[in-house]
Amino acid sequence: MKLLIKLAWRNIWRNKRRSILTLAAIMFASLLAIAMRGIQLGTYDLNIKNVVELFSGYLQIQEKGYNDNPNLNSSFQVSTNIINALKDTKGVSGFSPRIYADGLISYKDESRGASIFAIEPGAESQVTSFMKNVNKGKFFSSDSSNEIVLGSELLDNLNAKVGDNVIILAQGYDGALENNKFKIVGTVKFGAPGMEAATVIMGIKTAQSLLAMENHVNAIAIKIQNIEQLKKVKFSLAGKIKSSSLSVLSWESINPGLEQLLEFSNVRGIVFLGILFVIVAFGILNTVLMSVTERYREFGVVLSIGMPQIKLAYLIYLETFFITLVGIVLGNISGYILNSYIVHHPIMFGGELKKFYETYHFLPQAQSSVQFSIFINVSISIIFISLLSCIYPAYKVYKLEPLKGIRHT
Amino acid sequence: MEILKAERLVKIYQDNGVPVSALNNINLTVSKGEYVVIAGPSGSGKTTLLNLLGALDKPTEGRIYFEGEDITTKDKNELSKIRLHKLGFIFQAYNLIPVLTAIENIEFSMMLLGISDKERKEKALALMDELGIKELANKRPNEMSGGQQQRVAVARAIVNNPSVVLADEPTANLDSVTAGHLLDLMEQMNSEKNITFIFSSHDKNVIDRAKRLIILKDGRIDN
Repeated sequence: MKLLIKLAWRNIWRNKRRSILTLAAIMFASLLAIAMRGIQLGTYDLNIKNVVELFSGYLQIQEKGYNDNPNLNSSFQVSTNIINALKDTKGVSGFSPRIYADGLISYKDESRGASIFAIEPGAESQVTSFMKNVNKGKFFSSDSSNEIVLGSELLDNLNAKVGDNVIILAQGYDGALENNKFKIVGTVKFGAPGMEAATVIMGIKTAQSLLAMENHVNAIAIKIQNIEQLKKVKFSLAGKIKSSSLSVLSWESINPGLEQLLEFSNVRGIVFLGILFVIVAFGILNTVLMSVTERYREFGVVLSIGMPQIKLAYLIYLETFFITLVGIVLGNISGYILNSYIVHHPIMFGGELKKFYETYHFLPQAQSSVQFSIFINVSISIIFISLLSCIYPAYKVYKLEPLKGIRHT
Repeated sequence: MEILKAERLVKIYQDNGVPVSALNNINLTVSKGEYVVIAGPSGSGKTTLLNLLGALDKPTEGRIYFEGEDITTKDKNELSKIRLHKLGFIFQAYNLIPVLTAIENIEFSMMLLGISDKERKEKALALMDELGIKELANKRPNEMSGGQQQRVAVARAIVNNPSVVLADEPTANLDSVTAGHLLDLMEQMNSEKNITFIFSSHDKNVIDRAKRLIILKDGRIDN
């Protein structure tokens, strides 16, 4: 066995130039795949973090069915059991109750549809970051005052300014139309024009009073310490909440559009990697086939002295495996260096690309990742594709008759 | 003791669809320990006969018995085992594995038998010592002369103690002095180890030393 390994290793270096070219092709394919996958996954994580931490939270507790059909009646009380479950679940770093409702906002002669979003400012700042995006005025500090913050575009559409009073009309929990007067204390930017044109943010107690919801809420947004622990935290939390009418949803369910966009991009990246691997496979096939064909005579000799055909095919696999392994090791090292560099020096986008990214609440930058799984997956894929590509050369060797080999010129 | 027996061997090749008769009704028996030379002009069928006797090819008609067993009915895996366990081959162009050293080339056929690293090394070194090529142990084929390479090839052929060694024009690429030394060596192995040698050659040096000479002409035995 040791001799067969030695033979395979030395055979690789018989034609140094060809082996180095093959090795370089495998190395660059690994490097490219690791860099591409690193940038893809690194940027996904960054954008998920950005979008989720900006607004939705990683997890939400909601009434079952609320996510598909949001309405005021699908609400619940923040019970001691829920609070204890949240506090006792390892990995939860903050939570914030919320109310979502629809209404109409009027200022003088202007009226606009309003998406009412009610929060506890102290708790919300532990979960999301949109409160930092105030671009005019300030954020209200009490959740029971009549102060509100508008999306920046809504303020313009109403022809109002910070400090003006507006009327908000909304259907309450009991079905009756409720209205109240509120003071605009600031505006906020989300990066999404649709949200900025409709969002009205108010304190949760103010909203409960306006909508006659007493101490009910529609959701509790939750922040977790580590996104990789998402499923574990979700499962653990769901197990602690003793209400059959509530469910714990992850950010993918809360933001299906974002999840689909990232999934589409992920699939596109995988298809591109697949194409790259197919090109590499043909390169390896060509090299191995050439190296096999030019050694027919030698193979004929070893077959004639009694080497079983299967062992000869095994030798071809060993040679391919070795050259692939060396290429992958070099590709992994250079890939790790490149990805680490991008992690510390993200690629910043400008111009139209920047605007496009901001439309989807994404940071206009490409980040990378040095996740262990990237290196493992790329390495396994390339080894698999290499071994797959030498099936034909190995089959040719397996079918070789000793005499035909010896007579080969 | 009869070791190889060929009965009514016929071999017909197809040359662009035209049948060409290479061997025609060959009957031959070789006993254990014989030193046989198959001679004849080019195209007489020497190599074809050697290939058939060495289980490298199958006859169009006829039977070959090796140690009493009909090898013409065996499949390629069984023939491979017979070649590994019972036969040794020496080729005109030496055909050592270029990336292996002399000792590794000799060890190679032992490796195929599954002999351990340590035992292989010991056996190969002992044989090289016996053949006077111990100093070549760590040389690769391209660092050795033709005669040296052919000595290593002899060592490779006999290291597994085969019943028969088949040598196809083993001296064709050697000068007469080197060829003489090589033939001395094979004669020595024949007499000391009782290994059966079957040569195909038209080299006078080889023919003159034959203990039994078979002359082929146009695919038939002529003597």
